[in-house]
Amino acid sequence: MAAPLFLLAPPRSYTSLMNAMLGQHPQCFGLPELCLFNVDKLFELWVRASDEMGNEAKTRHGLLRAVAEIYAGEQTMDTVRMANHWCAARQHATTAEVYQELVEKVDPLITVEKSPAYTVDIKRMFRIEAAFPDARYIHLTRHPVGQCKSVMSLYDGTFALVVNSIDFLEDRAIVEPQFAWYDLNINILNFLDTIPPERQMRLRGEDVMSDPHAYLGKVCRWMGLRDDLDAIEQMMHPERSPFACFGPMDAIFGNDPNFLSGPTFRPHKVKVPTLDQPVPWRPDRKPLFPKVVELARELGY
Amino acid sequence: MSSNPKQAGTRPKIGPIDGDPVTTHPNLSALSPVQRGLREALLREFMARKAKKFVEKQVQYINANRQVAESLMLLFDEHGQAPGNMPLEDIVEERRQLEYQVKWFEAMLLEMQTRLLRVREIEALALDVLERAPKD
Repeated sequence: MAAPLFLLAPPRSYTSLMNAMLGQHPQCFGLPELCLFNVDKLFELWVRASDEMGNEAKTRHGLLRAVAEIYAGEQTMDTVRMANHWCAARQHATTAEVYQELVEKVDPLITVEKSPAYTVDIKRMFRIEAAFPDARYIHLTRHPVGQCKSVMSLYDGTFALVVNSIDFLEDRAIVEPQFAWYDLNINILNFLDTIPPERQMRLRGEDVMSDPHAYLGKVCRWMGLRDDLDAIEQMMHPERSPFACFGPMDAIFGNDPNFLSGPTFRPHKVKVPTLDQPVPWRPDRKPLFPKVVELARELGY
Repeated sequence: MSSNPKQAGTRPKIGPIDGDPVTTHPNLSALSPVQRGLREALLREFMARKAKKFVEKQVQYINANRQVAESLMLLFDEHGQAPGNMPLEDIVEERRQLEYQVKWFEAMLLEMQTRLLRVREIEALALDVLERAPKD
């Protein structure tokens, strides 16, 4: 069974694009966000997680779409219904067993997945490692200002709020996505300390966006995959992935909605902001936290 | 297999709220009562904004029904015929708009029918369980 590849990154760090690009390699299979390792047993994905922020049915969409595509070859309301039955039949299985079954099904293709929710808690990443002791990991990074701005632009910063990325001013609380950027990257770094260097790689998302041929080739060679022009050319078309669009009514998402509505990739130079400017999402116009600046420098910004 | 697994790193986090945020309730013990109140207020404000946006969107869909009726009035006169002097572009545009709205209603109908089926199944199961339950 081919060892899967996992992209580890906070949300809004080019993960959707990278995942779909790598998944388009002729020897790979790009999955939507399965979120399986969020929990131990499959049925727990159907259990309401929190009373505070409402039910998150969307976390199941990726799994349902993946099962529909892998077992039925298409994603329709009927095949999603089949996928629900498939899951119901395995409700007491561990998520590791379910994931292994999917990986075996697409073998010899290498599965590629990113679920930013894995980085919220180090226990989730340990679940991946326990299920796949040979898995490879790419730590994908993005400049804190770019990532935080992007988080705040999606559904009013819901993600930051869900992970309690909140700062307290004198008379009110505000959503402060820097905490999430820092803590999620720290989770990843703490986890990757347990992984041998040959099974991990760090990439700056901005570099891939500006010179995709060079960096995708580098990833291919690291994974022992073909890195010829044809393979790279196929990776330049993430929009060809069966998951690079909205799914059927019962499982619409499974990925970042912005990516689903515009999955085409165009190489572009990303303007990397400085680390000392006032951040636009704070009403008091303060700059990045010193700890955030320190970590950003360590990550190459 | 992994060779020589090491201990996880111990770099500390900086967020003021601890705990597994998505799966369980966060640990708020590090917050003062005032901070807890401010956090509650922020969550409430967020949920209210979300609800407001949802309602606004739903109102748009309801209005679509009225818009369809108005569109039909433009296309047909009292004899059910398109006005003779109506530009072809307008007719094509109206046709496209109507097709789009019909598709939307069909999708909504399908979704509601699916939900209705599910609810019926749940209802039937629940009634079945109640019937079988021993009476005191």
